[in-house]
Amino acid sequence: MNKKNADVIVVGGGIIGSAVTYQLSKRGKKVLMIEKGDLCAGTTGACDAYITPHTKAPGFHLDLCLRSQEVWRTLEKELNEELEFEDHCGGLQVCQNQMEYDLCSANSEKLRAGGLEVEMLPIEEARKIEPALSVNLTGALYCPSAGQVNPFKTVYAYMRNARRLGAEELLHTEVTGMIMDGPQVVGVHTTRGDYYADIVVDAAGCWGGQIAKMAGCDFDIRPRRGQLIISEPVAPLIHTTMQTGMYMIIKHHPELITDERVKRLGIGYCIEQTKDGTIIIGFTREFAGYDKSTTLEGIEGILDIACRHIPTLRNLHFIRTFSGFRPYVPDNMPIIGPVDGVPGFFMAAGHEGDGIALSAITGVLIAELVVDGKAHFNIDAFSPNRFKKS
Amino acid sequence: MDNKDEIICRCQEVTRGEIEAAIEDGATTVEGVKKRTRAGMGLCQGKTCQRLVMKIIAEKTGQKPADIVPPTFRPPVRPVRIGVMEEDADE
Repeated sequence: MNKKNADVIVVGGGIIGSAVTYQLSKRGKKVLMIEKGDLCAGTTGACDAYITPHTKAPGFHLDLCLRSQEVWRTLEKELNEELEFEDHCGGLQVCQNQMEYDLCSANSEKLRAGGLEVEMLPIEEARKIEPALSVNLTGALYCPSAGQVNPFKTVYAYMRNARRLGAEELLHTEVTGMIMDGPQVVGVHTTRGDYYADIVVDAAGCWGGQIAKMAGCDFDIRPRRGQLIISEPVAPLIHTTMQTGMYMIIKHHPELITDERVKRLGIGYCIEQTKDGTIIIGFTREFAGYDKSTTLEGIEGILDIACRHIPTLRNLHFIRTFSGFRPYVPDNMPIIGPVDGVPGFFMAAGHEGDGIALSAITGVLIAELVVDGKAHFNIDAFSPNRFKKS
Repeated sequence: MDNKDEIICRCQEVTRGEIEAAIEDGATTVEGVKKRTRAGMGLCQGKTCQRLVMKIIAEKTGQKPADIVPPTFRPPVRPVRIGVMEEDADE
């Protein structure tokens, strides 16, 4: 038998990988995290910072988010660090016309049926919550329980706690292959040598498909680029997290989009203000391979719609643009759990734009699956085995 | 010099002590220091502090300054008024 370096190897040092590393360590497993760059170097390092149950598809996805919020609510205390977590800053989905309002309204009924408190507000009411909104809008879907968090602080806090529990990490180390014993994964080849463990967890986000391929598994995880803009720090101006009603259309009803540019770039906006005072303004949702540049067309498109909805933004300055990749999966559901036919190999990837929100529960689930052999609720909808042709 | 309270990133008011703590926490790049401390995230986007941060990383980790991975520079080069980017902006 090969000498074992850890009970579990976690591939990926983003918010999913660090949540998994911490939760497994808490359950007594010896964990080795392997990350090809630095912590927070991929998707977690270039994303928004909100936890919004109302943007999830009603059903399993929403349920997973609600359960994740329960974990988030005790995380600062558990990790004993400040994560800039705001449990109830509220979320608005702002509608600029009746079509968006009607779609959000129909969706709000499904969300309510799924156990989420949401309401539709005419624009006068929405402006009482968010006075910066333009009077020319139609209204908004309001979710009081939407929250915010600092993803960087969360990753570092997870890892500091995991290290105290005995976890180790190898940064700037790339996994180059799986070590197999028959069908079973028993370790990984890396740019710094071979490492052995009972279980390997693929938490490599947008690169999760390539890691899975090394274990002989075929998962369609594609990088979807999101461009974002950062404003200069200003006094509190935006109190909630906001998206366009168009966001729901882009995310759940792409077939209804007629504008060619919106279709291609997936432009809407999501806006929130950080504790530091900067305003984060997203987003595009576009397929551009692993090209991490920002484009004038994308930035102009985002700011154009953002200024129409929040006119006072025109007077602020922006100081940076950036882009990040979201791990897109064709059925819009994360891939969480053991892979049939490949003992020792677990997936925890493919969360697309919901990774921050869902990271907390993903860590808990993987720890349960590894330690207890089952999760505390039914997660078949997220099983890696759902893609198998029956 | 050993002054932990010395401000290295003026925009975000990040001290030498905080940057050193970030390096002790595992940061080996300017980006790693930035994400842990916010040094370089302010108005000037690291134009002032980047070299100082690189120097501190070099001192603390024993790397050559030339080997330290610089941060990604992104548009705009200096702060730009958001209204200028609107499609029907009249300027």
